[in-house]
Amino acid sequence: MSSIGTGYDLSVSTYSPDGRLFQVEYANKAVEAAGVAVGLRCTDGIILGVERLLHSKLLVKGANRRIQSVDEHIGMATAGLLADGKHLGSRARDEAANFRETYNAPVTVQVLSDRISGYVQAYTCYGSVRPFGISTLVAGADKTGPRLFCIEPSGVFYGYRACAVGKGRALARTELEKVLAKEGGVSVREGVMEVARMLSGLASYLAPLAISLSRSTAVESVKNDVLAIHLVHDDNQDKAFELEMTWVCEESGMKHAAVPADLLAEAEEKAKAALEEGMEED
Amino acid sequence: MALYAEHPASAHDAHAAGPTQHAFNPYSDNGGTILAIAGKDFSVIAGDTRQSEGYSIQTRYARKVWQLTDNAVLATNGFAADGKNFVKRVKQRLEWYQHAHHKQMPLRAIARMIQTMLYGRRFFPYYVYNILGGIEEDGSGAVYSFDPVGSYEREACRAAGAAQSLVQPFLDNQVSVGILLHFSSHRHPSICSFVPSASLRKHTIVTNDRQFPPRHDNSTRYLGVFAMEALSLALTPQIYFKNQVPEPGAAPFIPGNLPLSTVLGLVVDSFTSATERHIEVGDGLEVFVVMNKGRTTDDLLGEGQLAEGMEIEELGALGDGGERTFLVKRALKRD
Amino acid sequence: MNHHPAAWGRPLPASASFDMYNPQFSAPKAAPAHQMPVAHTQQPLVTGTSVLGIKFDGGVMLAADNLASYGSLARFKDIERLHPLGPHTVIAAAGDMSDFQWLKKELNAILREEQALSLTDSHPSLSPSNIYDFLANLFYARRSKMNPVWNAVLVGGWDRVKAETFLGYVDLLGTTYSAPTLATGFGAHIAQPLLREAFEAKAGTDGKGPLMTQQEATAVLDDCMKVLFYRDARSMNKYQIATVTKDGVVISDSKSSETQWGFAEDLRGYGAQTQ
Repeated sequence: MSSIGTGYDLSVSTYSPDGRLFQVEYANKAVEAAGVAVGLRCTDGIILGVERLLHSKLLVKGANRRIQSVDEHIGMATAGLLADGKHLGSRARDEAANFRETYNAPVTVQVLSDRISGYVQAYTCYGSVRPFGISTLVAGADKTGPRLFCIEPSGVFYGYRACAVGKGRALARTELEKVLAKEGGVSVREGVMEVARMLSGLASYLAPLAISLSRSTAVESVKNDVLAIHLVHDDNQDKAFELEMTWVCEESGMKHAAVPADLLAEAEEKAKAALEEGMEED
Repeated sequence: MALYAEHPASAHDAHAAGPTQHAFNPYSDNGGTILAIAGKDFSVIAGDTRQSEGYSIQTRYARKVWQLTDNAVLATNGFAADGKNFVKRVKQRLEWYQHAHHKQMPLRAIARMIQTMLYGRRFFPYYVYNILGGIEEDGSGAVYSFDPVGSYEREACRAAGAAQSLVQPFLDNQVSVGILLHFSSHRHPSICSFVPSASLRKHTIVTNDRQFPPRHDNSTRYLGVFAMEALSLALTPQIYFKNQVPEPGAAPFIPGNLPLSTVLGLVVDSFTSATERHIEVGDGLEVFVVMNKGRTTDDLLGEGQLAEGMEIEELGALGDGGERTFLVKRALKRD
Repeated sequence: MNHHPAAWGRPLPASASFDMYNPQFSAPKAAPAHQMPVAHTQQPLVTGTSVLGIKFDGGVMLAADNLASYGSLARFKDIERLHPLGPHTVIAAAGDMSDFQWLKKELNAILREEQALSLTDSHPSLSPSNIYDFLANLFYARRSKMNPVWNAVLVGGWDRVKAETFLGYVDLLGTTYSAPTLATGFGAHIAQPLLREAFEAKAGTDGKGPLMTQQEATAVLDDCMKVLFYRDARSMNKYQIATVTKDGVVISDSKSSETQWGFAEDLRGYGAQTQ
């Protein structure tokens, strides 16, 4: 940022002369410093994955998860201040429950994202509050199929086929584009073929991966996601991290659930192996 | 005028009618009986385990006697839902007390707290008769009895619940050993069939008991059928010595001073007899025995102290007071 | 005429017989909502009759018929009164069916939130006794507000941690109890003795003997539902049985008992006799 401060960054209720809200931009900085979170929409399901940086070796394994369940069929991953993420998750669950109470139907991902975004946006309007220091990926499967939205600290939200937020998001997005580039607007049957090709392409790019093509597209995507996360993770910092991944697909009964531990472990192992092989080639 | 006077206070006219009368009755009576007897350095608190409503037995095992602290046990009787929730609140208050003072609440303080809690609901009472038993700070056995709105007193013994009117007179009374022996030799076989060994054993204990002067029934009194049955089983002096006169020159009767074995016999006989005569009593008997610290347990745990069919377990200490609590269980008739 | 709901079903006041077209003198206006007493359930309206429960070796079963009555009218004949809550709990409800519908919605919402939270805050899922305690507290709190949830509910389940069955009763007064066989309402008089007899035949009066098998439990429930259909005028010969074992909850399709009403022809006042 070129013009830091100059008095216009003390309150979110004050614009700078050139029409910017500095507090919102600073909130984005908090997001950019966080571990990456990835969402990937597949033909028959959707996946959320995060890299959870471990700031201490004393942490309990699997603690402080960054992906939360909002409703049976919806999950959300946050990148940024963890506590802000927990608070927004709680609000999202209230919104989803409120929708059910009112309409006796599960909330759609879009409506939920709209409601969350309205809440986030309200924190950009008052001098007494600060904006949320998180970007949120909302992923789920509803009557319209698998959907993915990203809500930013400003309150703006967009729908995505795939999205990445947090540190290293640019590289992650490039990887996701590669995964999705060959898939655009395809039926499930065609999609299986497209994804198979996509996987082969990614595999050849990284290393000779022996990824079975017989698995469902969602399962394959988990592996790709793991690859993407391992790729974008900045290994030079030598920071330990844990991989966290959830999905909504046939295999999980169209419910938001953690990716089975054995599958996650398998994907992680292959990703690490591929990464090491890639480094040897370099 | 009668035409108008007879108007049903029409709900048509909301103002005239006042608030709608609620048809819902928030209370029920779940039967059962409880009993507590204080000794010199112990206290016995008992209750049956049947829970009923009308003629239906809801369950044959529902607890209504609860250990509160190392030196206090509370028995509840009346509306089971109120009883359960009242005990829950009492336990919560006792936990708060312990957190605040780093010690368990003394018995007399628990008793006063219960009165306050009951009276706090004076205008929507807990429909519960409480009997609190345990050990006082001076080491004496104590029993406190309460009415549903908190009126309470310390006593030597108290029965409450469905068979209160059967058990309490039995405890109040005292009959001479001579009469007991007379009854025991003419016992109806069906009555004694389920506790024969207990009766005989107690007989020995009582007649050998030198702590108490022999007593005589000085009046010709009417004994109800219940009392006769109970007496024929009990063969023991009772607690309050009502209508009794000590022999000339003998020491006065002191309620609340009986030996533990005698008290246990009284409790068992009270409940077996109440089971015979009251449909809401039966199925199982739970007897809590709280002993002062340092007191011998031989008269409870010693060989042959408990009649056949009785099980005993010691309940673990909740604090470090040193008092010990035992739970004695026994079956009662199920019909 | 006063058409306000507060006046429905009430006899006309004496004033209305003089001038029913002049509201000034006839039925007075109902008080504004905020002045009316708070409306609580005073009586059940659409009701389900008794429900049964029994423990067997490795599980527990609940039974309920599919009828919801409006007074003595058999109003709804395909009502499900058995409801699963999570993987290892079932509830069966007698009493007011609208209260039961509300209860289902409430419990489902709680379970859904628990499920959502379990991903981040890994805690054990709600056991049958957790759900039972919640219901007992809810029912007792509502009766204490003089606004009862007008149901008698059986909770059956499998406790995964303790690896044992659970069966409990709770009703509109907040009264609770557990037993190896349970029955509500009319069933407490008609079916409970049959259930206890069958249970104690194998397990003994102390319940320490072998428990009945799943087949035997089904048989005694079938028998009880038939007897209840014969004897209970608010019952229907169409019922379901829910079974909970360590493998989860199974709620059967509706079924009927073979019944025989030939004897009715011989009853005075029922058949074709003229004398």
